[in-house]
Amino acid sequence: MSYHYNEAFENPDYHNSETLESGRRKASQMNSMFRQNPYDSSPYDSYTDHDGREQRQSYSVDIPMATMQPGLEVSQSAKRWGTPNANPYGNTHINHSFEYEPEFTYTPPSTLSTVDGPFARRSSDASEEEKIIRNLASMTTRERIKAIQKMPKTMKEKREIRNKVLMEKTRKSVSYSTEIHCCTQCMYKIALSYRRFRNGLSELFQSLQLWQKTLKIIGGKFGTSVLSYFVFLTWLLTFNIFSFLVNFSFVTIPQFIAAGSNNLSFTGLELLTGAGYFQQTVLYYGFYTNSTITKIENSTSYDMQLAYIFTIGIYFVICFFSLVYSMAKSFRNNFVNPQTYSGNAGKLLCIWDFNITNEKAVRLKQKNLSTQIKEALSEGKSEDLNLSLKQRMVHIAIHLAAWIFSLGTTAVCCTCVYYLSINNLKLFMKGDGTELENQAATLVLPIVVSLLNLLTPFVFSLLELLEKFQYPRNQIYVTITRNVILKMSIIGILCYYWLNIVATSATECWETLVGQDIYRLVVVDFLFCLLGSFFGEFIRRIIGTKCLKNLGVPEFDIARNVLGLIYVQTLTWIGIFFSPLLPAIQIIFFFIIFYVKKVSLMMNCQPPRKVWRASQMTTLFIFLLFFPSFTGVLSVVAITIWRLNPSEKCGPFRGLSSIFDAVSRWIDVLTNYPRSAWVVWIYHNLIESVHFFFILTVIIIIITYLYWQIIEGRKIMVRLLHEQIINEGKDKMFLLEKLRALQASTRDTPARKGASQQFSTTSSLYQPPGQLDQQRHLSMPNYLERPLEKNKSSFSAKPPYTADFPETSGFLPGDPQRQQPSTKPGVSEALALAMRARQQAEREMEDEDEEDFRS
Amino acid sequence: MGNKQTIFTPEQLDAYQDCTFFTRKEILRLFYRYRDLAPQLVPLDYSDKPDVMLPYELISSMPELKDNPFRQRIAEVFSEDGEGNMTLDDFLDMFSVLSEMAPRDLKAYYAFKIYDFNNDDYICKSDLEKTVNKLTRHELTPEEVSLVCEKVIEEADLDNDGKLSLEDFQHMILRAPDFLSFSKSDQQRNGEYIHICLT
Repeated sequence: MSYHYNEAFENPDYHNSETLESGRRKASQMNSMFRQNPYDSSPYDSYTDHDGREQRQSYSVDIPMATMQPGLEVSQSAKRWGTPNANPYGNTHINHSFEYEPEFTYTPPSTLSTVDGPFARRSSDASEEEKIIRNLASMTTRERIKAIQKMPKTMKEKREIRNKVLMEKTRKSVSYSTEIHCCTQCMYKIALSYRRFRNGLSELFQSLQLWQKTLKIIGGKFGTSVLSYFVFLTWLLTFNIFSFLVNFSFVTIPQFIAAGSNNLSFTGLELLTGAGYFQQTVLYYGFYTNSTITKIENSTSYDMQLAYIFTIGIYFVICFFSLVYSMAKSFRNNFVNPQTYSGNAGKLLCIWDFNITNEKAVRLKQKNLSTQIKEALSEGKSEDLNLSLKQRMVHIAIHLAAWIFSLGTTAVCCTCVYYLSINNLKLFMKGDGTELENQAATLVLPIVVSLLNLLTPFVFSLLELLEKFQYPRNQIYVTITRNVILKMSIIGILCYYWLNIVATSATECWETLVGQDIYRLVVVDFLFCLLGSFFGEFIRRIIGTKCLKNLGVPEFDIARNVLGLIYVQTLTWIGIFFSPLLPAIQIIFFFIIFYVKKVSLMMNCQPPRKVWRASQMTTLFIFLLFFPSFTGVLSVVAITIWRLNPSEKCGPFRGLSSIFDAVSRWIDVLTNYPRSAWVVWIYHNLIESVHFFFILTVIIIIITYLYWQIIEGRKIMVRLLHEQIINEGKDKMFLLEKLRALQASTRDTPARKGASQQFSTTSSLYQPPGQLDQQRHLSMPNYLERPLEKNKSSFSAKPPYTADFPETSGFLPGDPQRQQPSTKPGVSEALALAMRARQQAEREMEDEDEEDFRS
Repeated sequence: MGNKQTIFTPEQLDAYQDCTFFTRKEILRLFYRYRDLAPQLVPLDYSDKPDVMLPYELISSMPELKDNPFRQRIAEVFSEDGEGNMTLDDFLDMFSVLSEMAPRDLKAYYAFKIYDFNNDDYICKSDLEKTVNKLTRHELTPEEVSLVCEKVIEEADLDNDGKLSLEDFQHMILRAPDFLSFSKSDQQRNGEYIHICLT
């Protein structure tokens, strides 16, 4: 844009035009011709040449102007002009009127604008550019590139800035010492090649990212909401890959070294039941040895017990922190200040999902939007008529009934699962019937559980039709809550069964039994997931498009699918202890699910019609994964490790009274070695000590409370600042009104104005400083007209309201005394008024900045 | 990385890398994308900086923009002549800003420009009406549209001047969580999508 401005600069039309806009348009018309042959010398080329020449000519005019500024800048600009152009493009065109802020487009039509000669502007402009270039030159390469990338400018301008900065840098280093010129060049080359190497590396990493392309296509066709499901899936997948790597390398590989032979036969049904052949493999807890593994005599040994417990413990700790981290990040990004901008304004302007590149999806989205807006409008109207008491009672009664029904269903499901599982155990203990029958019988429990998980949500979604929620968001939240309660209570019952019944039963190796149960649950759930997408989506689409046309194409139910993922992940986490290689199986399943869901989505589904606030939903899902799911898993694992008796005859912990005993024994051994006394001390004083945890808890509670208070304080602060912004807007309007009134009263003395205008256009070379000052004064109202907008428009990496006053105030004379030469009392009065207001605002804003900064 | 390319000089490529959020490969891919729009116009050698400009009709026929209701505004905002005709520089610039790597405030700045239909550096009521009509494909009655626009201005206009300045806009948008999805996935993906489709 400024490039056009640049062209328009010499254009007389430009200065006579009312606004800059019209001038700009003229310029753009001039070069909007579309050229076929890039090599012919079209009028455009000659135009740019001409333009460039004019720039150079005018530069000589510019230098004397620059003498008004601090000496340093002048010498720099002159020098820069003098240095041979090292620009790799051979581009000698330097954009003098480069602007850091698009300020000129903000110049409002003003009666005084004719007085405002181009030279005052240009010098300030050039100095600003100098400043930016000097700033950039002082940065490190990386920072500089980032800063340049972030500039809201056209490529040409950015490239010019970059070239100038590079020139500045080389010039500096050359002037520093010409002797080591060769050396610096060498260094420069090394730095350059290093940078290219790094760029290449980052390219490589980018190409390693899984399914990037597929995710883009899904996002393009279905929007961000559906995309969030797939992103969540890949996220879980990386979790599992990590846990697989950890378990495999620290637990399984050592076990392979010590493993005995497996003499069980493999029939194929084991893939489904996980029993039989797999019982004697590294898949399950029971197979791991309790001995220390030494391949070479007298070398250091590998204690399997410790390896097992520490691997799993450290894995959970890492999981915990990464979950907390991603949850906190997601919260911070998506729930910032939700009450302030929950309104429609933000929604309207942010709602368009630019991701969508599919025509059908675009049309659907537009339709949804219009209905949403209509609903919102009618909501606003109907909000006034309150529901009568009776209606409200009916509403509450319906909600209550729905809740009782859903909780009752959950309870029935849990009882069902409980008795079935006990029955399952009895069947296993008795062991009559053929081997095949036994194995088939074990599958009953997982199939029933998966069926319940699949069908009850449909019942819950029927409830949605009964209770009509005012806002669709509430409906989504309620449905999710019910489903979470269902899934988590089923898992809870199963855990109770495993920890209290299986663990105390007279089985040979209860951990392996639990591991098998979990394996079966995971496998069957996976199969049901495939069936679900086949029947729920494929068959449903066939019915919807062929038989019952009014049903239409099914929607992709994000909530149900994501909850399914959370459920499976919970099972995997519980299973890690009993079956260390379960993540590997989960990785395979997630891979398959990803492709199946993708194909099913592409073939069968349409984007969801509901309002789906993808960002907040993702946060909710991560939270759900953390709160009932991961914390529950932690408690289950903790009970297993501290409370339960490990099996007598299998597993790494055979013969111990509890699994944690392995650690206590290790510490006892360590006490004999004085060098590892610190480990013992830590164990006795921190890990085992109640006081330590008590103090820790108290400290954490205090910190939490402090943060809570800080948040409360911030909320008040935000409210006050908000009010202040509004008040300042009002102040500004008031001042502007006054200023305009004063200008109107002084407008009928145009003689002097005309004279000064002539001055500015003719006598440019030998203008005395006083004149310049005066010119600046006269041009001031121009800048003052919208001081706040100007600052606001200064687009920079800083947060809003850190308006760069030092830069802008460069236009203004510092002390009010210097205003005296102005002969128009009206204007100077207005200026003084505006100046005072401005200084006030400046001070206040600085305060705010500091507060922002501190926070 | 060892593949020889003769389209740009190494210095040109470095400059492009410094000025956009793209890697070398992506720049080349985008160049081919650009060239594919009009192979007879765009030369395969850019080292002498040929002066080529593709008309808006070609730019808007790209799959990434074809169905976007704001395609014309996007092209206009990023083109140097303000009419949607793009040089390679403009083209790279557009995809750089729309890419995932671009920071949010940069996106907010350009989003503001896109919504500012009459280029007066404010989003006024007429701009908002145009936006709403584009968003809803003229399915609302004019009264409804103007009601919505009034509400939006009322809500977001902090300094009470009856229109949204860039500052108002940034203030509103950067803090709205859903702008994340807007900015992150939205536009930028265009660029990503492109570079992926080219592989």
